Order: sequence, then C-alpha cells, then structure tokens
Amino acid sequence: MTSLTKPTQASDKSLEIMRNFAQSYAKRTGTYFCSDPGVTAVVIEGLAKHKDDLGAPLCPCRHYEDKEAEVKATFWNCPCVPMQERKECHCMLFLTPDNPFAGDQQDIGFETIRTETNKY
Amino acid sequence: MSSAQVTDSTFKHEVLESEVPVLVDFWAPWCGPCRMVAPVVDEISEQYEGQIKVVKVNTDENPSVASQYGIRSIPTLMIFKGGQRVDMVVGAVPKTTLANTLEKYL
Repeated sequence: MTSLTKPTQASDKSLEIMRNFAQSYAKRTGTYFCSDPGVTAVVIEGLAKHKDDLGAPLCPCRHYEDKEAEVKATFWNCPCVPMQERKECHCMLFLTPDNPFAGDQQDIGFETIRTETNKY
Repeated sequence: MSSAQVTDSTFKHEVLESEVPVLVDFWAPWCGPCRMVAPVVDEISEQYEGQIKVVKVNTDENPSVASQYGIRSIPTLMIFKGGQRVDMVVGAVPKTTLANTLEKYL
C-alpha cells in the first residue's frame, strides 16, 4: 500500500511550462538533474500541479499552513530564495555538479516525466 | 513491505500510544526526495521488525498533525518514544544515518 488515493497530475500545459523552465534554469545556473529521473519528474509534476491550483509553482517539498499565503509571500515559489542565493534546492531538482546525486542531464522529456509520475 | 499510512485521526492511537518507538515518515505526493527515501524507510521497517513501528503521514491530507509537529521541509522523518518526539532527520538521508539515529532509542 502506498497511498489510498492516487495523486492528481498537473495539466499538460503547466507540465510543459515547468519542464521548459526547469531545463533552461538548470542550464542558466550550471546545475544538473538528479541521476534518478524519477525524482526530477515528480518535482516538476508537483511544481506544475501547484501552478494549476495556486497560480504559482510553489515548492512541492515543503508543508505549508496556508498555501495561498505562501504563494503571495513568494519565498518558496520556484526558483526559491535559497536556490537563487545559494543554489540550494532541497527538492533535488537543481543539483550542483559536486552533489553525489547529480546526474549529467539538463533536459528531461515530457513523456519521461509522465512515464515516471504515472507510476504513482 | 510498505508501511501503514497514519492520519490526523489515527495518529494519537498509532503513534503516541504505541508500546514501541515509532518512526514517522512525513511525506507529500509530488515531493521527489520523499520518493527517494520511501524504500529506505521500508528497509528500516523490515530490519527492525518487532522493535519499532514505522508509519507514514501524507502531509497534504493530514495538515493538523503536520502543523502540530512543525513540519516544514519534507521528507521529515521523526522518531517518537513514549508519546514524545525524541529525534528527527530532514531530507533524503542514507539508510545508515537513519539506522544510527534510531539505534539510540531502542
């Protein structure tokens, strides 16, 4: 048993927007996706789902008392302040090359993402 | 073997009133590192079977317990003993880190 309810995926439109953002932001910052594409896929799906539901790609690896208020505060909207200032992404979407989990990719296909997130 | 899901309504009974120490995995559906740490948590569950209980809390579906314990970054792995939170580790940690933390409370 994993979860009782299957998590809802994002719209194709938001997923494509966030996929493109993640690819260009990785290249711009010299960071790489995780060597396990499942991690990258799940996070991009989560960002896109928050974009659908809240209007902004709030970090999916945090718990919030009030998601709408957090979106307005902007601190945890991707790319979050720790990422912008120190290249710290605790979601493991953007990894610096010295991170043991970093792979060698800065691109991920739409179908690759859905193949991974369809597992859940 | 996957660990049981605990909810806002079952947390008190399953975790706080447990006879053995409890490892609680606070996770969310689209959190990448949560997916990474889940198999580690399952291995720990098997390795310490009978000594500890291992449960999971979906923070999206159970905001009360997540807020009560001040969960921010996820995954957060919290250890409870005798109804009290005694330790926690944050992020996708290696199995040895989690095992070493747990050993202190057996």
